[in-house]
Amino acid sequence: MIVESLYPEVADLYGELGNVMYLQRSTGCQVIETGLNQEPAFLTRDDIDLVYMGTMTERAQELVIERLEPHKEEIIQSIENGQRFLITGNALEIFGKEIEDRDPELLGGRDPVTRGLGIFGFHTERRMLHRFNSLFHGMFQAQGTQEAIDIVGFNSQFTQSFRDEELKPLFSIVRGRGFEPEGSGEGIRYRNFMATYIIGPLLVLNPLFTKYLLQEMGEKEVSLACEEAAFAAYEKRLQEYSEPDRGFVY
Amino acid sequence: MGRIRFYFALWAAKLSVVALKITRHNGTNFPGVVALRLCPDFLKYIQKPERIVGVTGTNGKTTATNMARDMLANMGVNALCNSTGSNIATGISTAFISGVGLSGKCRYDTAVLEIDERSAKNLFPYFAPDYLLVMNLSRDSIMRNGHPEYIRDFLTTYIPKSTKVILNADDLIASSVSPDNQRFFYGISRMEGDRTEVPNLISDLQICPRCSGKLKYEYIRYSNIGRAYCPDCGYTAPEYDGGASSVDLENMKFRYTLYQGVHSQGATTSDGPGAGEAVDSLEFPVMNASVFNIYNQVAEISLFHVMGYSLEEIRKAMDGVGITKSRLGTEQVGDKTVINFLCKEKNAYAASRVFERIHQIDGDKEILMYNSCIGDTHHWSENVCWMYDADFEFLADDRIKQIVVYGDRGLDLKFRMLLAGVDESVITYVEKPEEGIDKLKLFPNDNIYILYGTDSFDLGMKTRRQVIDHIKACEGNDGTGKEDGR
Repeated sequence: MIVESLYPEVADLYGELGNVMYLQRSTGCQVIETGLNQEPAFLTRDDIDLVYMGTMTERAQELVIERLEPHKEEIIQSIENGQRFLITGNALEIFGKEIEDRDPELLGGRDPVTRGLGIFGFHTERRMLHRFNSLFHGMFQAQGTQEAIDIVGFNSQFTQSFRDEELKPLFSIVRGRGFEPEGSGEGIRYRNFMATYIIGPLLVLNPLFTKYLLQEMGEKEVSLACEEAAFAAYEKRLQEYSEPDRGFVY
Repeated sequence: MGRIRFYFALWAAKLSVVALKITRHNGTNFPGVVALRLCPDFLKYIQKPERIVGVTGTNGKTTATNMARDMLANMGVNALCNSTGSNIATGISTAFISGVGLSGKCRYDTAVLEIDERSAKNLFPYFAPDYLLVMNLSRDSIMRNGHPEYIRDFLTTYIPKSTKVILNADDLIASSVSPDNQRFFYGISRMEGDRTEVPNLISDLQICPRCSGKLKYEYIRYSNIGRAYCPDCGYTAPEYDGGASSVDLENMKFRYTLYQGVHSQGATTSDGPGAGEAVDSLEFPVMNASVFNIYNQVAEISLFHVMGYSLEEIRKAMDGVGITKSRLGTEQVGDKTVINFLCKEKNAYAASRVFERIHQIDGDKEILMYNSCIGDTHHWSENVCWMYDADFEFLADDRIKQIVVYGDRGLDLKFRMLLAGVDESVITYVEKPEEGIDKLKLFPNDNIYILYGTDSFDLGMKTRRQVIDHIKACEGNDGTGKEDGR
């Protein structure tokens, strides 16, 4: 099993490198770390089981778009061919049409509009003076089964995206805010491309989802690292998030 | 109308101080809350000391503010300080209120203010610090501070152009604050224990700000703190205008040197880390052996130099000044040592410094890890992303015999420590913090660390007292195992 971690030198905020670490610890998979000045491996190889990219700074978003833009058509082809992606936090905005700064005070004269790759039909508004924080409880519908998996996590962002066309969400929402201010879904799911605004160690916090993901990646006997402790922490969090009087928005 | 409103707000705030005293309430920000509620631009009108020194940055600002206040006191300057209140607008307003009489006349010549980075926007329209010490910029609360680059841009936007800023050259994010201001750069030259590869999970600046190439380090201490350069384009960190060298931890001393290129940054890299020739130099005693605290001390010397004091005056003023015991305190109870250590919750960078320091110190240990956000327990649920940025790996150490975790986030901490390689037999989970005290093994020469955050500060202090009492009860009144000290 091979996991490609895209641009870990910048896409590493909020403990998100914990996601790849957990896959590595659980399966012993090979991890390819692709830096900003390297070509992504998934563009030239067909044995990459998962491409992961996490949250980054606003300047890093510009750099990553700059690096990926020349490969836009290859990336689209790769997604159409079923390449598996997991994109977390504001990294998903890179795949939209544009990010527009609505609080220009902190821009220092820079252009308020950053063009995205435009692979998916949505746009993003950014307000650097208004940070949004929330807990998230959602459900993930595993392919080919009736079973849904509870997802728990955190949102913490300066941005809000808006769909310009119909996009299937990755998670349905039980509590918390999704991709758009109004709407029933969180994230994007298209073929094997999965993107979510949920930040942090999503896979560490959600052992059921991680097991499903590893099975989809071809792992037959899935045993997670420190599985018992992982489930104990997950169940405790799920219980907290299910309490009706638990505050969600910070 | 503005002035009338101001006086009304001032008198109401003063009255609230009296009311708080009578009712024995400890509302450290309350007078500021009252004043700002009644007069939103209260800070514009209140008379302030002529000289204002600000201290900001992610970590170390409380320590540095208290040190600056104490050093000024040793110089005979009674400075107004917000050390008993908060570092946001209400706390700073409270400090200014305490500094004026009912007529509004300020009784102080100097103020030393700890300033929250995000409060720069609310404060600096109303006053410009003459000097602003920026300790460091690193990952902090995800919910509030986003990331350090954001805080850097935030400070640069709102710091007044007239303010002289004192910056850590060994922190490339902090050292890029306010490029148009008059700046003084400090740092610590190569020292024992330096590395060239980042040893931590957090490294907030890995790419060159100029060409995005991978940065390298001549020497690095932790995270991105060290002397960075870019092998691709030749970019280097700023030279030191003043800095420590010859750090000798065995004899607890270092040398602080001022360089010729003060404020000009005209020297080349061939001159070494100092900008130009050395112009003055003096030996200082090390106040605390952790590298983080040596940076605090060097920052302080640099600030006082920029304020116009000689190195001799600064060294004399530092005599007897220490780190506040509530942030790092040690108490010997028989053969046991009880150490209370502030370990900010939700702050992976600060937690990593504490974990590394515990790992560096000799001796067998037990840890009561009580740095949870107890404030979040009933209303929200703590965001645990920080745990996967923090170097819990330092705790996978045979000399750590037990780590007690408790409450809602105890299971998350246990899971994280298992992934870090801590043996399961070492981790004890309890429901309530007081249950952890009974679990202490209290072996001979035990070093018991109590970790607590700002949210769990009172719990940390209470636990410290309980641990000391528990040791005495278990082993005799003085902790020697002999009743009545016999």
